[in-house]
Amino acid sequence: MSNMDMSWRRTSLKKSPGAGHDAAEPIKPAVFYILLALAEEPTHGYAVMQTVQAQSGGTVPLRTGSFYRHLSKLIDEGLVEEAAGRPPDDDPRRGAYYRATPRGLRVLARERARLATLIAAVDALRPAPRRGQA
Amino acid sequence: MMPSRPALAERALSWLLLAYPPLFRARFAARMHQSLLREHDAARSRGPAAHAAFWILTVGDIIRFAAALRVVAFRHPPRAEEGGPRMRPVLSVDWRDAWRSLRAAPLVTVIAVLSLGLGIGANTALFSILNSLVLKSLPVRDPDRLMLVDHGSWTNPIWEEIRAREGDISDGAFAWAAETFDLSSRGETDPVEGIWASGRLFEVLGVPAVIGRTFTSADDARGGGPDGPVAVISYDLWHRRFGGEVGVIGRTLVVERVPFTIIGVTPRGFFGPDVGRSYQVAIPIGTQPLVGGKGGVLDGRSDWWLEIMLRLKPGQSEAQATAMLSALQPQIRAATLPADLPAQEQPRYLSDPLKLLSAASGRSPLRSRYEAPLTAIMVVVGIVLLIACANIANLLLARGAARRRELTLRVALGASRFRIVRQLLAESLMLAGAGALLGLAVAGAGSRLVVAQLSTMANPVYLDLSFDWRVLGFTTLVTITTAVLFGLALAAGVRSIAPNEAVKEHARGSSDRRLGVRQFLVVAQVALSLALVVGAGLFGRTFFALATRPSGFERGSVLIATVNVQKSGANAAARPELFERLRLAAAGVPAVRSAAVSFTTPVGDTGWNTGITVPPGSTLTRRERTAWINAVSPAWFDTYGMRRVAGRDFDGRDQPGAPLAAIVNRAFVLRFLTGNAIGARFTQAGRNGTSYEVVGVVEDAVYRSLRAEMAPTMFVPLAQQTDLGPSISVGVRVAGGPPMAVARSLADALQREDPTAALSFHSLEAQVNASLTQERLVATLSAFFGGLALLLAGVGLYGVTAYAVNARRVEIGIRMALGATATGVVRMILRRVGWLMLAGVAIGGGLSVWASRYIAALLYGLRPFDPATFAGAALLLAVVGALAGWLPARRAARVDPMIALRDG
Repeated sequence: MSNMDMSWRRTSLKKSPGAGHDAAEPIKPAVFYILLALAEEPTHGYAVMQTVQAQSGGTVPLRTGSFYRHLSKLIDEGLVEEAAGRPPDDDPRRGAYYRATPRGLRVLARERARLATLIAAVDALRPAPRRGQA
Repeated sequence: MMPSRPALAERALSWLLLAYPPLFRARFAARMHQSLLREHDAARSRGPAAHAAFWILTVGDIIRFAAALRVVAFRHPPRAEEGGPRMRPVLSVDWRDAWRSLRAAPLVTVIAVLSLGLGIGANTALFSILNSLVLKSLPVRDPDRLMLVDHGSWTNPIWEEIRAREGDISDGAFAWAAETFDLSSRGETDPVEGIWASGRLFEVLGVPAVIGRTFTSADDARGGGPDGPVAVISYDLWHRRFGGEVGVIGRTLVVERVPFTIIGVTPRGFFGPDVGRSYQVAIPIGTQPLVGGKGGVLDGRSDWWLEIMLRLKPGQSEAQATAMLSALQPQIRAATLPADLPAQEQPRYLSDPLKLLSAASGRSPLRSRYEAPLTAIMVVVGIVLLIACANIANLLLARGAARRRELTLRVALGASRFRIVRQLLAESLMLAGAGALLGLAVAGAGSRLVVAQLSTMANPVYLDLSFDWRVLGFTTLVTITTAVLFGLALAAGVRSIAPNEAVKEHARGSSDRRLGVRQFLVVAQVALSLALVVGAGLFGRTFFALATRPSGFERGSVLIATVNVQKSGANAAARPELFERLRLAAAGVPAVRSAAVSFTTPVGDTGWNTGITVPPGSTLTRRERTAWINAVSPAWFDTYGMRRVAGRDFDGRDQPGAPLAAIVNRAFVLRFLTGNAIGARFTQAGRNGTSYEVVGVVEDAVYRSLRAEMAPTMFVPLAQQTDLGPSISVGVRVAGGPPMAVARSLADALQREDPTAALSFHSLEAQVNASLTQERLVATLSAFFGGLALLLAGVGLYGVTAYAVNARRVEIGIRMALGATATGVVRMILRRVGWLMLAGVAIGGGLSVWASRYIAALLYGLRPFDPATFAGAALLLAVVGALAGWLPARRAARVDPMIALRDG
């Protein structure tokens, strides 16, 4: 079937699904913060957005539209999953709870290591980088 | 009190979420909705700015992400093994399959999109012109409440009577007159479009000034208001001349050589009360005496030059306003009765009703002139689109022959007919959509091109061609109709699909019903093209007849200088003498063979007519008792190439104080004179019954319009005129070469005589051509679209014949094996083409006869049913048909019987 051939060729040109964040390359700040927020315990969507806002000091603008776009990708890539249970006293308006999968935690750890290496490299470059006009 | 979250926001947000692809929606929509609501509430509590920001950001996010997700979903349909649901959303499948199938045949797709783009583009272009000319409202406050006082123009005394009662009749009234103003201080004229405006024009229209102020009633006082003569300028002029500086207020603008103070600028997009014309400068009607023109126009009870508009009071109906106006009519009429009106005309003047007409879309001389021709062209481009649709249906059907196996297989695998029809409709919608996008681009350029053609030097045309909801709605409607039209033609072929054909290796389908559909489409195309070719022929012959009509004057080698001597200080009495000096100066220019001065020129834009006294008991109607007048200098007839048939030309004898002389044309002699024309006397009606002696007779010539019949015309000596305006035409006949070449030396010669004179030049030829703009435009457009239709019909005919030949290859092979000659095969194929043509021409002929009645008013010199045009069109179509049939027929004749039988 030609249709099958075509779609096979097309996907093969890109990375196969899920492969994206296994490779040791930087991930987007928003993705990083989302994984961070979901690393500790299962959290519902709105809370994730607020955590990200707070932790990033507002530098990562995360609104509903962009959050769910990232979330759907993360789920498709197997880095985040829906948590089964929810606290008994929960507000039903909160919707589903999510948590990072073991693979998601691995990606997070690797990104953390990458950033640490990066910062170490930057610090080694000059004795005392000038900082803090702000 | 803070109200709880409006239900509207909740609903709006859930609507917005519909932008996401269905799969995504199924997973996240409910959660996103909750999340959005919480964001919304949080933003709203932070104040209106945050609230607004929320909506802007949210809508932006959703559009961005939803579009991205839809693109991904479109490119990578979820597959079962990835865990996506097995039931794929049906409609998205249609789109994807349609896209694939269009991409599989790029040539067909490109041709289809191009012809659709042209068709839809032409329709949209014409519609946007009609829209701005006829449908669009004026860009003013409550245009629906504006009423025009109908029946052409009005005198200033009538306007003043209405103005005195404007509060009784309406919420306000204003008057205006269009005029071309010269803004130059010296030398060559600098004409711009302007209006004489009554004091409350801008106020009643509801048009505020962007900077400065608009007129008040005080500004409209005679001779200028408290601030002296003041002017309001358009946004356009403000930017073009004054660089948009705020300091323009208070600056001086020279209008017709008189300094005016600029007091305000009107908003961008306001083009004045006339549609099709954009004003640049407005000056109060009251300043008319300063600027001059024919003296005493403000008190002229026979000078009909103003348009009047009213604004209805709140709650007042059109009928109430009309009734009010009718009640005041006797007073208004009685107070403004022209003194020189003959007694028998007076009752008519007094009883002629003052009527009101809705003026929401403004008043437009352009509209009355172009509405009919543009509507005719609109129908033409509509037909072209129909033909293009038929052609695309034909193309797709031809391709469908190749897809037949795919479709039969789908049916065999359980696809419903409805499913397949829907798929075909999706394809055609996609094609039509692409065509519409292209069409909008074509329309944007095309409509500007057409409007540029409408403009002439004397009448620059301005139309607001921006697309509004009407144009976009029209295009959408046309697009959908188009898609459904040819989609249904395609679908008609689906009925014949039988599932069992799929399993046959080579279904030969002798009873292919789609060929029937295609033949019908071809007959329709031929019929419609014939109608268009006939139309193009009729319009072309009309233009040709007018352009080559014996006009009675020679248009080549004549240069006309329009001269305004307002600044020279010469009063009306001194002007004839100044004009004579200008004539002598012009005649002295090298390369000028003869020079003459006149009030107006042939096919010019000013006219002057008068009533002629006839013997009592004459059966001539009022209209028939009028004659055109022109005041001319000696040598005028020679300069314009008019033939004198008897008597003499004007000369030194025709001086002020000498007996009043006149030269008349043949038509004048026939209508008003008896016996020997030379030496006969006649009197002008009204105006104290001035009496003239005929000293010469000239051949008939066109006075103002090439369309009009030769009308009685009288010429009077310029030297004997006492009330001439400051503007005059100096015409020179040059010895050879382009007339414009002498413009420079003529300008020098004229300015040596009067250094203050304002001059502008054009050739008589250009003036005649400009008067045929409408006919030329209609002829050019209909010829273009007729040719396009012919081409499309030829392609359609070729396609269907080639297809038929292909389908009959085996049969033709057998015939040839059995002894048929190549000529015989060609004849067989052409006979078939001949039948199709004949059917098309017969239907098209009937259609043309019926339709041509509607364009009778646009024709000149021929009847709508013009046998020669019809025969010519049919012949042209026959040639195209023969060519389109001959190409495939020749291929049929080259069929090798062996190969045809083997491959069958």
